[in-house]
Amino acid sequence: MGLIKKLPYYSEKIPGGAIVLTSLEATLQFAQAKSLWYLLFGTACCAIELMCTGASRYDFDRLGMIFRASPRQSDLILAAGTITKKMAPRLRRLYDQMAEPRYVIAMGGCTVKGGPFYYDSYAVEKGIDHIVPVDIYIPGCPPRPESLMEGCLHLSEKIRRQKLSDWQEK
Amino acid sequence: MTRDQLKDYIGSKYASLMTPLDTGRFDPMFEVKADRLFEVSRALRDDENLKLDFLCNMHATDTRENFEIVYSIASITTKLRLDFKIVMPYQNAEIDSVQEVWPAANWYEREMWELFGINVKNHGNLKRFLLPDDWNQGHPMRKDWDAPDFVRMPEIQ
Ligand code: SF4
Repeated sequence: MGLIKKLPYYSEKIPGGAIVLTSLEATLQFAQAKSLWYLLFGTACCAIELMCTGASRYDFDRLGMIFRASPRQSDLILAAGTITKKMAPRLRRLYDQMAEPRYVIAMGGCTVKGGPFYYDSYAVEKGIDHIVPVDIYIPGCPPRPESLMEGCLHLSEKIRRQKLSDWQEK
Repeated sequence: MTRDQLKDYIGSKYASLMTPLDTGRFDPMFEVKADRLFEVSRALRDDENLKLDFLCNMHATDTRENFEIVYSIASITTKLRLDFKIVMPYQNAEIDSVQEVWPAANWYEREMWELFGINVKNHGNLKRFLLPDDWNQGHPMRKDWDAPDFVRMPEIQ
């Protein structure tokens, strides 16, 4: 009953057990928020911090975050690292290959607004929100694993609060 | 051969082609006329006492008046190193390819062509290399380059 206790539910006792009614929306969102598989998209130094978060000390897996090497199996792109103008179309393409519902976390100053390459750079894209819609921005250069995990928890919160009808609009 | 001997050797043998520069750098530095580049490169590589067969590095610099192209070469067998540079005017900058002498120059020259707009004669494969394939904003390593989304670092007081 652990799962059921966290959902809005109605339970009717019948002889030999009970019937539980709950809403599809709540169930789906609960499941989704707890198992965000992310597409590894580490393009620069932020990826090192992402790896650290995935390793045993911070243990990303306990949040249900498991990295995938294919966009078709992922719910989320964790864009960790500088996105250059040459890389931008590839990022967009990977995003397009993901199944709905899909989310994007911009990790690090580079993906938020160009970071240390904002000035005097001809090659770096000034923020990946020019390319894909971003759900969570995590500033920092690089953000600490704690910030990354907090960002992911915020994303879970966001998923919990959305409506089924939102899926269609994105 | 020591560095000073190398300087003297070049000074006596290639005096007409290479002018020594006093840069205070570790490796001896020479200046070469742009139209003698290929000749000098081949002579340095084929010289029995030098055997400078390895192009370590090659770079261009925009000094706002000129382009300076520096070739750093070394030898695997005689362990000698030296640099020479070419100074050329900003307008219609053009050099000879030294690929035939040092094949490693291929990518350096392509990069130079792409980022500085220095034309390379007899290169044979001048194609986009580092920039996006659909790039149409000119040569970004030039000091006077600008683009709509290019932000210059503000002066720090
Ligand atoms: S934000 Fe900083 S740490 Fe992250 S990719 Fe950019 S430069 Fe590297």
